[in-house]
Amino acid sequence: MVVFAFYVFDRHAECIYKKRWQDALPGAPATSLRPPSQSTVANAPAPARQSLKSDDDAKLIFGTVYSLRNMVRKLGGEDDSFLSYRTSQYKLHYYETPTNIKFVMLTDVKANSMRHALQQIYVNIYVEYVVKNALSPAEHPGGIGVDNELFEASLDVFVERVLNTQPPDPRA
Amino acid sequence: MAANKSTRQGEDLWKTRVEKVNAELVTLTYGTIVAQLCADYENDYTQVNQQLEKMGYNIGVRLIEDFLAKTSMARCGNFRDTADMISKVGFKIFLNVTPTVTNWTADSKSFSLLFDENPLADFVELPDDGRAQDELWFSNILCGVLRGALEMVQMSIEAHFVSDILRGNDTTEMRVTLLRMIEDEMPPEDD
Repeated sequence: MVVFAFYVFDRHAECIYKKRWQDALPGAPATSLRPPSQSTVANAPAPARQSLKSDDDAKLIFGTVYSLRNMVRKLGGEDDSFLSYRTSQYKLHYYETPTNIKFVMLTDVKANSMRHALQQIYVNIYVEYVVKNALSPAEHPGGIGVDNELFEASLDVFVERVLNTQPPDPRA
Repeated sequence: MAANKSTRQGEDLWKTRVEKVNAELVTLTYGTIVAQLCADYENDYTQVNQQLEKMGYNIGVRLIEDFLAKTSMARCGNFRDTADMISKVGFKIFLNVTPTVTNWTADSKSFSLLFDENPLADFVELPDDGRAQDELWFSNILCGVLRGALEMVQMSIEAHFVSDILRGNDTTEMRVTLLRMIEDEMPPEDD
């Protein structure tokens, strides 16, 4: 299993953390993650992809999960939530806490449900190293306070463990 | 019974997931904070109450994440469940007390928490200056904690103490009122 990217959105709909594992995309641009609207050009090296700033990435992903979440709630009731969706290129996993923090992870299509993994990231990494860090602000405009070393290091370790079929990569 | 279930959940979590600290350490630390605030504001107890509430709020907005991480609770279905959860799980795991939920208004938007015991107020006697007894809400930090924590789960509430054993009342009672549910925030429009 390969993890492509990981995003955290706060309750103000702002992307407060994002991380991409570029080298998880082994040289082939065709397997790169891209917004669903562009999946038709999957086989071409994607110049559009390069021009898409990673900031826009986060916005697109937020828009997607926000709309999906609302649709799921309309159809399935207030307590319903979607867990993941899959395209021919990637699988998007979603976990939202009752405090409206949204965790999104993009993996390859063969991945199992990552709901539990995302919850573990929230409980053991986000709460431990971001929320309980007394010197980090309670809100994280622009990601302030989230990108601390302990959080990043633990996230990396965790993702590598999840990526157990992949040989650990020093740059990951 | 839902009530019994949350009692059990609270007990289990208290036994298994919570790191304990010496209660007297908490009591004395909190007492010192209040005493220092009284000194800083030259015994202007209205200000002290406000400041305690504010400190509690700042604690609450973080504490809720710890609460959710420890309990893995889903969202409560209604405000009565919320009250039950606050008393039997929230207060249980953080202070090892379970205040009684009572005095509901007919519209289920307002209730009271009756504290049979209050670890913050052990050993405490209010200053004998003739005003503290009428003006200081010693445990006011708890009101702020609730406001901060519930705001993070989309409930805007108001909480205040209406009586305190420290003031010579028969009970320690906090009144909690649901003001409104907070709507999801939308992302800012793209330009």
